[in-house]
Amino acid sequence: MNLMIKTDNLEKVYRTKEVQTKALNHVSLTVERGEFVAIMGPSGCGKSTLLNLLGLLDEPDGGSLQLLGTETSRYSERQRAELRKRSLGFVFQSFNLIDELTVFENVELPLRYLGVGAAERRQRVEQVLEKMQLLHRRNHFPLQLSGGQQQRVAVARAVVNAPPLLLADEPTGNLDSASGHDVLGLLTELNEAGTTVLMVTHSEHDARYARRVVRLLDGQVVLENSRSQF
Amino acid sequence: MLPYPLLLIYRNFKRFKSTFFINLIGLSTGLACALLIYLWISDERSFDRYHALDGRLYQVMENHRTAAGIETQGGTMPLLAEALRREMPEIELVATTTPVPFFDAFSLAAGGRHLTGVAKYVDPAFFQLFSYPLLVGAPATVLQDKHAIVLSAALATKLFGSPQRSLGKAVQWQMMTDSTQTSLVSGVFTGVPRNSSEQFDLVLPFALFKDRMQMGKTIKWDDDGPFNTYLALKEGADPAQFQAKLAGLLKTKSAQAQGRTLFVRPFGAAYLHGTYENGVATGGRITYVRLFALIAGLILVIASINFMNLFTAKASRRVKEVGIRKALGASRAALVGQYLTESVVMALLALVVAVGLVQLVLPQFGALTGKPLALRWEWPLVGAGLALALGTGLLAGSYPAFYLSGFQPATVLKGKLPTRAGDVWTRQGLVVLQFTLSVLFIVAVVVVNAQLAFVQRQPLGYDKAHVLHFEAAGRAARQPAAFLAEVKKLPGVVQASGIVGGFLRKDSGGGPPGPEVSWGGRRVPVTAQLGNYDLPETLGLHLVAGHSFSRQYRADSAVILVNQALVASLGMPNPVGQRLDGARIVGVVRDFHLESLHEKIKPYLLRLEPQAGTIYVKLQPGAEQATIARLQQLYAAYNPGFTLDYTFLDADYQAQYVAEGRVAVLARYFAGLAILISALGLLGLAAFTAERRRKEIGIRKALGASELGIVWLLTGSLTWLVVVAIVLALPLSYLLMQRWLEGFAYRVAWQWWYFAAAGLGALLVAWLTVSVQAWRAARRNPVLSLRAE
Repeated sequence: MNLMIKTDNLEKVYRTKEVQTKALNHVSLTVERGEFVAIMGPSGCGKSTLLNLLGLLDEPDGGSLQLLGTETSRYSERQRAELRKRSLGFVFQSFNLIDELTVFENVELPLRYLGVGAAERRQRVEQVLEKMQLLHRRNHFPLQLSGGQQQRVAVARAVVNAPPLLLADEPTGNLDSASGHDVLGLLTELNEAGTTVLMVTHSEHDARYARRVVRLLDGQVVLENSRSQF
Repeated sequence: MLPYPLLLIYRNFKRFKSTFFINLIGLSTGLACALLIYLWISDERSFDRYHALDGRLYQVMENHRTAAGIETQGGTMPLLAEALRREMPEIELVATTTPVPFFDAFSLAAGGRHLTGVAKYVDPAFFQLFSYPLLVGAPATVLQDKHAIVLSAALATKLFGSPQRSLGKAVQWQMMTDSTQTSLVSGVFTGVPRNSSEQFDLVLPFALFKDRMQMGKTIKWDDDGPFNTYLALKEGADPAQFQAKLAGLLKTKSAQAQGRTLFVRPFGAAYLHGTYENGVATGGRITYVRLFALIAGLILVIASINFMNLFTAKASRRVKEVGIRKALGASRAALVGQYLTESVVMALLALVVAVGLVQLVLPQFGALTGKPLALRWEWPLVGAGLALALGTGLLAGSYPAFYLSGFQPATVLKGKLPTRAGDVWTRQGLVVLQFTLSVLFIVAVVVVNAQLAFVQRQPLGYDKAHVLHFEAAGRAARQPAAFLAEVKKLPGVVQASGIVGGFLRKDSGGGPPGPEVSWGGRRVPVTAQLGNYDLPETLGLHLVAGHSFSRQYRADSAVILVNQALVASLGMPNPVGQRLDGARIVGVVRDFHLESLHEKIKPYLLRLEPQAGTIYVKLQPGAEQATIARLQQLYAAYNPGFTLDYTFLDADYQAQYVAEGRVAVLARYFAGLAILISALGLLGLAAFTAERRRKEIGIRKALGASELGIVWLLTGSLTWLVVVAIVLALPLSYLLMQRWLEGFAYRVAWQWWYFAAAGLGALLVAWLTVSVQAWRAARRNPVLSLRAE
């Protein structure tokens, strides 16, 4: 089997002085290479928590998490950073571009962390910006762009190092419908080109772009169905 | 195009302009202070270190056991150099010299020109031991002839036009009241550098001094001499072994020399480590070097704290960036590196500004410290500047770097700064630390100034007002009685007299302990001075028993005045008329402060003496200028060619506290800067607090809170930090300043208001700073604040 993600009884608990909240409760999930999976559920069901764990942005409190066939639940911060920069791409609802960096500099950031040389960086960034029709905006700062453009920059940044897995957290949440459509189109294109895409959304419309939908409720997987079963 | 890291830093600085400027001002002021202190310290450390043999060069010292403990002195017996040369094969060169403060200035004449100059008698090896480059003459031979004289280049130029022209020329010179001598110039040395602890203008052979003083040909080991003996050990000689050998020397030589031990101290160490207590080196000027180094460090810490606090306070606005970078694969090390680079670049930028500031204030700082300091772009200075900036940058950046890079990306990607109790405590702790240091500085300023005011108020036991003194040269020195009679006739002169050497002791405790006197089986070391008729009257010494030196005594009769301390330590019931080592006590003067108030009043005697090296004149108040003009006329008539170079006794007294005076002024500046930098930090912090609580303020106002209430809300939280700082600082400052005060035998009593003033001062500065921000926040339209959310 060609597995991209395999979780087994994954758990995440948030604790404060008074309360303990189980955000994820024994979540077991597999995603194969090349899939486009949408994770859905109401607010507070644990979608983003799951995505954060899958993206190694947070540590699980229990269970196992395999990415690309490797167990990562006991990874050190250094190992997690290493895996993130080589194999993962992120697209966030609020774009999460760095305001002080230009479009070009934002997009080239993952390549910098990978230690790619300046000439190659330039070539790869220009290539991806061209593809996203953003080359003419390369020297603009994020705040000078529209929301749709900002999210396209974020997608460009997520794919510039050609990661096998792309994680998108409500990628259209802050966009108008036309821009949202554009972004989802881009994700589909990337998926068709071989990138595994995992997208958190609460929009049924967006979820239709995925081939499979995983539904969460109160930190548990309650339903998994393929597009044909929507 | 800037390099990538610099570009990021530039954009961040642009985004947070006010923080940037607060940091720049704080760090550059801190670095400027540190650089100034570095310049001062390196100048202090350079003293007496310029000799080629430095490292092998030593001064022979003597520990002398007395009833009062071990006295350490640099004075050694006259012929010690010759004896050591014979007995110690480890020695390469050795020379005896007279100490510079030994004589009043010599009168010199050549080719119709008259000058005075400070002289030193030295053994022939002097110019080989010490690196005073000779412009004329050779080091090994220049002092071979008993009638040779070696002049400084400046003196030679004044007397003969140039160093070269002076070779072989005759110089007539006179030592105090001694007859005029003639020597031939055998050499000219470049002069004594400024960073020498001894300043002199001419050098004469010690052999000549021995002749004049009719010293014996062989050493007397129990002699108690005022002479200095310097030596250089051979290369490879073990100083520790030599020290041990020297320590045992006197025991084998003389039964009378029991209780006396010779030892050597590195020549270069004397300047900074000149103070001995009970035979042990306990410091000296090094105390001030350490004190100022500490102050520089503390000011940099205060400036660094600003950086840390402002950086972490604005972290909420940068924390998302951390999350993004981490999500994209940045390791923690890479982020730490980025933030440290940012703080180091900031510090380097501050260094550039600091150098400009230093350049600007260096002349004033030089005047304040009495040193003509300059910024010389040489490696040690550049290195020190860079090291300071780098150190400050790393110190300032360390906490923010580790703080920011430590967040979980999932948490901070939401743009929310997780509130961790520890971080708040750290930030508050840093503010407390800043203000603790500031209050410490303020208390120090108050106490130093109070002690200096006390020094000025303290009754001294003599009258320093309207008394001037000058060196007796030429005929005035040869015939002091006649000269003094003429002086007394001048209108405006109240009284006049003479003394050998000077009256007030410039150095506290560093000089030779003086002879011992014995009475009734007790031996007591005394400070002995030789003075002329009317000296007690001229100086306003107060007689408590007997009478002063009256004319009924011949000028050379052995009569003395003693102070109360001497009477007390000898336990004499009726001192007047008693004999003390052959001299008769004719009167007892009330104790007076011959030394600075650092020293306890010691047993003292004044012997009637016909010679007078220094003339003291008491002037009528109000007519000083006219009287001085008359004195100048008389002096010129008496001594054609000489000019009257006078000093007021009051100035001598002030000179005893030069170091303290400088500390007081510097402490004032540094305290001001520490407060300024701390206040700047607080200003920045208050701005961020106001920003962070903007919504809360809006809601409170919407619910009816008054502007004053809001101001109190914002100032209150920072006020208690300052209060904690004050509570911490007060006992600490008491302990530290009590130690400083203990350096004075006579000191001001602590007053409660020293602490109250310091505490209130700090609180006031903090309130003023914070309330500006708080007032702005309180006046903001709540609708805008709420809408912004």
